[in-house]
Formats: sequence, structure tokens, C-alpha cells
Amino acid sequence: MLMLALLLIPLIGAVVVAVGGERESKHVALGWTLLACVAAVASVFAFNWSDAATAQFEMRAPFLPHYGINLWIAADSVSLLLVLLTALLGPLCVLGSYSSVHHRQRLYYASLLALQSFVTGVFLAQDVILFYVFFELTLAPMFVLIREWGGANRKKASVKFFLYTFTGSILTLAGVIYVAWARTGLIETAAVNAGWTFSLEFLTDTARFMSSSEQTVVLLALLAGFAVKVPLFPVHTWLPLAHTEAPTAGSVVLAGVLLKLGTYALYKIAIPLAPAAFVAFAPYVAAVSIIGILYAGLICWTQRDVKKLVAYSSVSHLGFCILGLVAMNAVGVGGSILYMINHGLSTGALFLCIGMIYERYHTRDMDELGGLASKMPVWAFFMVFFSLASVGLPGLNGFVSEFMCMLGAFQAGAAWGPGGTGGVLGPWFAAFAATGMVVGAMYILYMVGKVVFGPLTEPRGHHPHETLPTDLNLREITVLTPLAVACLVLGVYPTPVIRSLEAPIIEQLAHVERYFPEAEAVETSELERPEPAGASIVAAEGGLR
Amino acid sequence: MLEPVAQLATRLLSSAALAAEPGEKAVAHPIQLPELTNAPGGPSLAYLLLIPLLPLIGAVLCAIYRALGLRNKSAAWTSVALLAASFILSVMACLDVVASGTGRAIVHGFEWINMTWGAGEGRSISADFSFYLDPISGLWMLFVTGLATLIALYASEYMSGDVRNARINRFYGAFCLFVFSMACLVMGDNLLLLFLGWEGVGLCSYLLIGYYHDKPSAVAAAKKAFILNRVGDVGLALGIMFTFVAFGSIEYDVIFRKTAELQEAALAGATIPWFVEAIPLLFMVGAFGKSAQLPLYVWLPDAMEGPTPVSALIHAATMVTAGVYLIARTLPLFALNPDALVWVAWIGGLTALLAATIGMAVFDIKRIMAYSTVSQLGYMFLGLGVLAPTGAAYHVFTHAFFKATLFLACGAVMHGFAGQLDLRKLSGLWGVKGWKVVSAAMLVGCLCLAGVPFTSGFFSKDQIIAEAFVTSGPGYTLLGLIALLTAGLTAYYSFRAYFRVFHGPVEYHPGADHHGDEPLAEEEAKENEVAHGHAHDDRHFHPHAPGWAINAVLAVLLVGSLLAAVPYFIDKDHKGWVGGLVHASPTDARVLPDGAQVIAGAKHSFFGLGDPHTVMYFVSGAIALIGIAVAWWLHLAGRTSAAHSRADALKRRLGAIGRAAEHKWYVDEIYNVIFRVPLLVLANLFYLLDKLLIDGLVELFGALPRWFGRRVQPIQSGSLQGYAAGMAAGVALLLFLAWAAPALVVWMGR
Repeated sequence: MLMLALLLIPLIGAVVVAVGGERESKHVALGWTLLACVAAVASVFAFNWSDAATAQFEMRAPFLPHYGINLWIAADSVSLLLVLLTALLGPLCVLGSYSSVHHRQRLYYASLLALQSFVTGVFLAQDVILFYVFFELTLAPMFVLIREWGGANRKKASVKFFLYTFTGSILTLAGVIYVAWARTGLIETAAVNAGWTFSLEFLTDTARFMSSSEQTVVLLALLAGFAVKVPLFPVHTWLPLAHTEAPTAGSVVLAGVLLKLGTYALYKIAIPLAPAAFVAFAPYVAAVSIIGILYAGLICWTQRDVKKLVAYSSVSHLGFCILGLVAMNAVGVGGSILYMINHGLSTGALFLCIGMIYERYHTRDMDELGGLASKMPVWAFFMVFFSLASVGLPGLNGFVSEFMCMLGAFQAGAAWGPGGTGGVLGPWFAAFAATGMVVGAMYILYMVGKVVFGPLTEPRGHHPHETLPTDLNLREITVLTPLAVACLVLGVYPTPVIRSLEAPIIEQLAHVERYFPEAEAVETSELERPEPAGASIVAAEGGLR
Repeated sequence: MLEPVAQLATRLLSSAALAAEPGEKAVAHPIQLPELTNAPGGPSLAYLLLIPLLPLIGAVLCAIYRALGLRNKSAAWTSVALLAASFILSVMACLDVVASGTGRAIVHGFEWINMTWGAGEGRSISADFSFYLDPISGLWMLFVTGLATLIALYASEYMSGDVRNARINRFYGAFCLFVFSMACLVMGDNLLLLFLGWEGVGLCSYLLIGYYHDKPSAVAAAKKAFILNRVGDVGLALGIMFTFVAFGSIEYDVIFRKTAELQEAALAGATIPWFVEAIPLLFMVGAFGKSAQLPLYVWLPDAMEGPTPVSALIHAATMVTAGVYLIARTLPLFALNPDALVWVAWIGGLTALLAATIGMAVFDIKRIMAYSTVSQLGYMFLGLGVLAPTGAAYHVFTHAFFKATLFLACGAVMHGFAGQLDLRKLSGLWGVKGWKVVSAAMLVGCLCLAGVPFTSGFFSKDQIIAEAFVTSGPGYTLLGLIALLTAGLTAYYSFRAYFRVFHGPVEYHPGADHHGDEPLAEEEAKENEVAHGHAHDDRHFHPHAPGWAINAVLAVLLVGSLLAAVPYFIDKDHKGWVGGLVHASPTDARVLPDGAQVIAGAKHSFFGLGDPHTVMYFVSGAIALIGIAVAWWLHLAGRTSAAHSRADALKRRLGAIGRAAEHKWYVDEIYNVIFRVPLLVLANLFYLLDKLLIDGLVELFGALPRWFGRRVQPIQSGSLQGYAAGMAAGVALLLFLAWAAPALVVWMGR
């Protein structure tokens, strides 16, 4: 029920805002996002954390029963954490837009709310078609946001964003349908009385009956959609453009949660649907992510537009995230999921900080801005804080996930030591990725050194903003403080979150572990749920709950 | 009085930590070693947690003061009080650990990163805020907290000009945060907490070098320091990963236990696996970054852009010795790979020589001290490399005192003469009223640095140099000679600065540096302006003699520098008190697996003169005196002005070599050409590639449908033949697909 509430509150809010008054729309939107936050907090308490691997708050209604398509939502700890992130960013985005959006406010806030609802839907969907529907639905409000309130080049950015990601997703849909179709063939031979199904829980069993070339085709189809969404080098070029042109809140949602749809989908769908191919492709995907880390990091270093710099840094950061994921061990995948959350917090906050500067100076050009610390000490504090979080300073959130991703990659396949795990990466992958730590410091400090520190530089003919004070006002501080607190808490005490991720990750990794080269040597851990795959199909067909 | 408070606070803390999943702890710490905290009747060391906690509270309070916009010395006094309390607790803790007789204490504080993915060894990772106190970490904590307290007191006067614009709070906030990070680095019971401290001190260093953040050179120096440190950090991070995979844990207790097992096996003839041998090599990279050794040393001289108290504490006495600490801490691992020790020794020796040559040539006295720090750190690494951890640790200890003294004396000069640091523009300060304490401190500091007999630096440096001749290794004798040569150069450059600035005719020119560093001098300059109409007229400049805080701290450090020689005579069995500490800690791992003969074959004679340790007293003492005599002859004897001395003629004689040394051998420029420029070119190339090729392909793909549409449009011509042809083609395509699809299915079925 709570999950349904989390899904519906923003949607209802969107409708209410859309039909309500123009002037009070932002307050109404804030109210609805806060309500969603309350529901999110309630779900934290209602969730049974000791059984985090089990999908909880389950709700199911048949949609197209003939094809086994259900409206089926539920959350394990991974989904719940990402939903929490989405719910937290909601009110901050609304509040952060108070002074920057002046025209067509109803549409703006309705789009933001709708976007929040759809993203929540993606994280909760247990049915692949439902997942796909939400996955694609997120494009519409984001398209509107970029096109209507974006920068000078917004038309091109919005179209590119939409077409690029949409083209990829079509192939994803084909891949998913193929798996469902393959399962229908399998069931006839296995003499189980069932037809089509798109429920993730049942589809995951199909893979072991699919040949490796079938799996390869499926994985490539899935990657076509998901890698673009992440975005993985070299299919990342829509992102810098979309980020640069999007309004601040759009960038925050884009970096904070939309990119996570890709990584989450790889974790949730690609791993179980094509495990053998996933293992086979892991080294290549890891190599591409490492190239992305360094390539995008170096590009950041040449940027003059602060926002574009942070946009490219997302490409670099998500490289770490994917590297951890394809390590396919507990530390790596745990780090990867943590990275999704941490990147959402720190990069989202950086975009907010940059938005605050843009509102005051109407430029993001680093040649025209400099040394703002002497004029805006409060802003400078937050900017430096989030930059440090982003660069992976221990004690803040970025470090925990970055280190875990690298350690995971290091362990994967390093069977020569007691700390090694199964997998197909190894020390070299970690070593190359670790050089990204230096590149990250280079571009972030380059940005901080120019914009925050150094002699004060302001654009020529700059006038103080009519309504905004020189430094941050209370509203802006309110927007940034929760993010700063979250960054600090997740940096100092991430253990509860990590522990809650252990069980679902281990369960998910059971899909791939048997395909590791040294599979027989890898002990299956005791925490693994030994439930045979066929049993759940039979049980499920016995009667849909 | 303090103890009950400490006990209460720690009880609260430890109960909070215990409340967090007590059941999980058993999994997270599979190896339970005897702990003092749990020993019945033994002293409770839970108050250990307060040593890092108090500075952290100080940092938080300073942040609050900043938020409140306080413009007074609250931050200074808060910091001094909390750091002093932290120092007292460190002393108590060291005494308790020694008294307990178990050699070490582990206190669990607070969970940080924990993950379990199975049962058994290496199936869980645990890195908590837990603290490990043994003699070595105790030694480090003593001088870190002690010097931090003194330097915070010094800064209360030195930084008083910043009180007016409230940024003093930022200074003390970062200062306290530094001590917290240093405590985590030194006392962390696992490598990841060490890494937290490692990067934490790097951050504080960054913030404090860039403290005058409107000054571009300070910002650039801060950035350079952080990035070069990060290069080293990559090595350390990879080393930690190797450690985890190799040992299944990153906690010292487990590592040391397993290392000892490996060592025994190796002595019995087993080979050390490559992944264990890789660990010290990677740690070494980290240590070279943090401790400013070749090839990563170039950040430290630039770090002098920060306020002088920062230079004294962070960039001379404490943070830069973190690399020495890391190697000393993990010396048992280094003992498993003698090659790594050879690297450490040679890099240390060469760095010592290179930095000393630059120190001889530059004119900024603070930079001279900076290069001297690099050089002395080189000695410490040399000591570790030639298996003289006692000498290295003792040199860290004495160096902390005398280098802090030297920097603070330089700072007093800088403070008093409006930022003037050029030794060609200052002369004869002994003769200026109110500068006696500073002059005396400088003299004592220089004597120790030069290694004049019976000073602390003499005893600590001797141990290292003598051991270089005793231990046999590839070219170690040459290395010992290099160390001796460097000792002579050290004596020369330190007394060059001393004779130029503090002796000779009285002459001074104020600095032009008014970036707010010297606001008091600035005020005076303004007064002068009112009175005389010209701010920087040398004749009307009145140096601002140091007040009580600076003088008191200098006096304490002066005495401390001299007294640092005393520990050498305590515990003669282990070559001094520090030797006793090293002996009682895991650092005392002197046996090399394939190096048993290294020790056995050691030469116990210095070129046929007898026991190197005894001979070295005379040799190095004589060399130091020669160096001083040369400095006297070139820079004091017959000098009539501040700007010129006999050395000028010598420098003219040296020509290009002299110029190159003055320009720091152009290392910065060379690095720029070798690393920064190619990387920048590559980055721009990537950006171009991204825009033109990668995005260009996307754009092309996007344009294709439109292009195709335009091309295909004419087919819709309305002529019947065209449609018929199209239909035929379509049928052909369908037939082809009908044939190809089964083939595809067959292929996919494979």
C-alpha cells in the first residue's frame, strides 16, 4: 500500500497542480512532494529490514492476463533505497525552482511531479512490461522540462535526448519480448501449464534454458537501451547536451535518478535475463567503463561551462558504478548500488549549487566567474563540500562507494587470495580505474580553484539580483542542507545501508555465479537462497496471488 | 580531574557502539586478540577515543563560530584547550599502554564500513573507527598533539590579524580537523581508517595552503599539493586492496599475524607470493606522495604559500612524516620484499641530496626550510630502507621539534617584517630589539638541523648514516657517502640562512606582501603613511617584534629541540628511548627472508676505522662543523650589506649550475612539459573527438532518415510500373526472410 502511495501521490499531485492555479502551483507541488516524503519515511519504518531480499509491500493486479502482464509492484531494499532517493530529491527540486521558473509554472511543476511518479514506478515494477512502460514514460516529462525551460539550445537537446534514449529502448523491448517468447517454447517442452509471462520473477528462470548466443543477442538488445541511459561511453553524447540545456531541477532529476534507471535496469533485468552473456561481456563492459572514467574525466578538465563539466563528470562517475556492477561480487555490486545513491546526492547538489549561481549571474562560464568564496561564503562552503563528496574524500559518501566499486573489481577473479571472489575482472581493472581518482581530483579542483577560490571575478556589467540576496537565502540553504547531511551520514555510517544490501545482492548474484570460469571452485555462500528455479514457476502457476 | 570525565564520555561512546548490532561483531572480527579494554582489572583505555574526538569537536565548534560570524579569539582558545586535552590524554594513554605490558591496545569506537558475503576468512570486510595504540603510534601521537597545541597557541598571535574578518574560525576549524585526521591516520586499527586520515590530512593541507584563497599562487599550490598527493594515494589504495585480497582483512592485528607466518615460512625456504610482494611497493608510492619524496616532492615547497603555523605543523613536523609512519607501521610487510626496501633507501638518499642542493641555492628562507624538510624526510626513508627504523623514528621525533622551531622562527620574521623572507633583504636580527628569542630559536634549530655534536639532530641522523654503512645492500656504501655529503650540505644551507639573516650588519627591508597575512604590519604601514606620506619607505619601517605567545612557544620549542637529545641516553639497550618503543612494536621486524645473509654479512667497520656507530660520531660531527665554517666564510665573514657576500663570486663562477639550482633544477618546468602539457593536449583531443567523431556519428545517424526520406520521396511518382517493381521487390524480400529466419534460429540455438 505504501509503495502504491509513493507511486500515486506525485501523480495525483501532478494532476492537481495541472488543473490548479498558476501562482500557488509551486506551493501545492511542494506539499505533494512533501507528502511523498512522509510516505517514504513511513515505508522505511514499515519495511522489514531483516528480510531485505524479499520483495515487500507487494501489490498485484492483472492487466493483460492472456500475455501474463500484470501491474505488479513491490520493493526489496535496493528498490526501496532508490525510491527513497527519488522521494528526497522531489521537494528539493521543487524548492530549488522557486525563483528560477516564472512562466507556465503549472506545467513545470506537474511535469516534475509526473516524472517523480514514473521514476518511482521503474524502481518498483516487478513486471518487465510495466518496467518498460515507466522507463519510457519518464522521457515525456523530461522532454517537456528541457524543451520549455531549457537554455538556448534546448530544442535540439530535448529532441536528441528523447530520440537517442528512445531508440535504444525499443531494442530493449525486443530483447525482453524475446526472452518471454523463449520461455513459452520452454514451457511446452517442460509440460508446465502456462503461457506468456512478463513477471521478472518467472522470466529470470528462462536464462538457463537459453543458449549462449541467444543470451548474447538478448544482452546486446538490453544494453542498447540501458547503456544509453547510464550513459556508458561511447553512447553518452546526449547527456552533456541535455544536462547543459536542462533547467536546474531537470538536471538534478536527470543526474540524481534518471541515469540510475540504466544502472538499476542492468542490475535488476540484464543480470538475471542473460547471465551467461553478462559474464562473458563483463570484461568488455568494464573496459569501456574505465575508458569512460578517464576519457570523460579528462574532457571535464577542458570545460569552461561549469554545468557541462559536472555533466561530463557524471559520465566519468557512472563508469565507476558500472565497473562495480560488472565485478559481480558483493562488494562491487554493493558499491555500485551505493554509488547510484551517492552520485544522486552529490551531483544533484552540485547542479543545485550551479543553478544558484546561474540565477545570480546568468552565466556559467568559468572565464567570467571566479573567487566567489569571498562574496558568497555560504554557497562556497556547500560547493566545496559537494565537490569533495564527488571527488571521493573519505568521510563523505562518494568514497565508500568508489572504493567498494574498485575493490570489487579487484577481487573479481583474484582467486589467489582469501579475499578474492569469483568473477572475470582483476587487479588491472582496479588499477586503471584507480587512476580515475587522480583525474577526478584534477577536474574538480580545477573547477573549485576557478569558481570558488582565486581572485573575485564577476561578469562585466553584473547587477545584484532583484530578489535574491548576494549569498544564499534561507530557502536555498534549506534545499542544500538535507543533501549535505545525507552525504555526511552516508560517508561516516554507511554500514546499515550496506548490510541491508547484502541479502538481495547475494540472491541476485546467484544468477551469474554459476557462469564464472572457475565456478566449481567458488563456494556458494550460506546466505544464498537455494530455492530451485523450477519450483517457483510451478508454485506461481499454482495460483497467482 | 580529567580522567573521570574522559571515562564517562568514552563509556557513553562505547555503549553506543556496542548497541549497534552486537551479534554482527563476531562475524566482522573473526580473530579476537586479547584486548586491554576487556582485560579484567586492567586499565580501561576507552578514553583513547577522546584523542581524535576532542579535535573533531574543536573543528565542529569552529564551524559553528564561523556560522555565527564570531570575530574574536574564541576559536583560538577553544582549539588550544581541546588540543591540550588531547595531548594530555595521549600521554596518559602511552603510559597506560606501557604499564599494561601487552604492547598494544585496541579500542572499538564506531562502525564505519562493514560487509559480509559469506562465512569464513576473507568473506567479510570490516573497517571501523577503531583505534590501535602501540608504542609507535603512541610516539607519533605524542608529538602530533603536543606540537599542535603549541602551534595553535603560536597561531593565536600570528593569525590575530584575521580575527577582524572572521576567517580565523576557518583556520582553526581546518587546524583541528587536521589533528583529528592525523589521529585517525596514526591510531586507526585498519588500513582504511589510515586512508581516511591520509586523505583527511591532505584535505586540511589543501584548505590551509589555500587559506588566502584570493591569492592565485596559494590556490595553485593547494591544488598541486592535493593532486600530487592523490597520485600517491592511488598507490596506497591499490596496496590496501592487495592487502585485503592477500590477507582477507585490513586490520593490523590480522595482517601482522599473517605476515609473521609468511616470514617464518619464508625463512624455512618458501617463496613469498607476488601479490604480497606487491603490497610494499604500492605503499611506498603512497608514502612518497605524502612525504614529498622523488618524484612527487614538488608540491611541498609550493605548500609554503600557506600561513606559517600551517607550514610548521603540517608541512614540516607531522603530516609529511605520515609516509614514514606508513612504512614504519607496515615494516613487517616490507621485510617480506627486500627490493622494496632498497627502493625506499635509494629514493630517500637521492631525495635528501637533491633537495639539499636546491636548499643551498634559493633565497627565500621559508623555502630553504621547505627543501630542508624534503631532504630530512629523505634521511628518514633512507633509515627505513637500511633497516634502521629506530633511527628513522627518532629522526622523525627530533625533526618534528627542531623543524617546527625553525619554521616558527621564520614565521616570526615574516610576521614582523611584513612578509619579508628574502635572505638578501634581512640582516643582523640579533641586534634588533625584541628579536632575541627568535634569534636564539633559529640558532638552536639550525644547530640541530646541521647535526652539530650533542644536539638532538646529531644523534638521530647519525644512527641513520651509520646504519647505511652497516647494512649491506646494493650500493649502500655509496648511499652512506651520499648521506654524509648531504649532511655537510645541510649544515651549509642552514647556517647560510642563519648567518645572513641573524648576523652581520643590521639591515632590513619590509616585504611588499600585503595579502592580509600581516595585517598588523599593514596597520603600521598605514600609520606610517599618515605620518610620513610613504608606506614602504625602509627607513620608517618599524619591525613588529613578536609578542608573548610567539616568544613563549619559541622558547618552549627551543628547549624541546635541545631536550630531544635526552631520549637517546635513556634505554641504552635499544639505542635510546625511541629504540625501545620500536623494539616493543611490530615495526621491529628486522629479519629478511632471503636477507638473512644481509644482516650476517654486514660490515661492522667503517673503512677499517672501527665500529661505524662510534666512528660516525666523529665523522659526521666534523662534516657538520666544516659545513658551518664554509657558510661562515662565504656568508658572514667580511659581509657589509644584507644583499652581498662572498658567495656571490662563487655563484658567478658556477654559472649555469648555480642558476639551475636556484631554479630548482627546472623540475617543475620539466614535469609541466612531460606530464601536464601532454595530458592537456590529450584532454582537448578527447573533447574534439567527442564532439566531432562520437557525437558526429550520432548526428549522422539522426540525419540518415531525413536524407533517406528525401531520396526515396521521388519513388512515390504515381507511375504504375514503379509500384509494380516495388511490390516485386517486397515479395522477394519476404521470400528471402522466410528462408533466412530458420537459419537464424538454428544459429541462435547453438
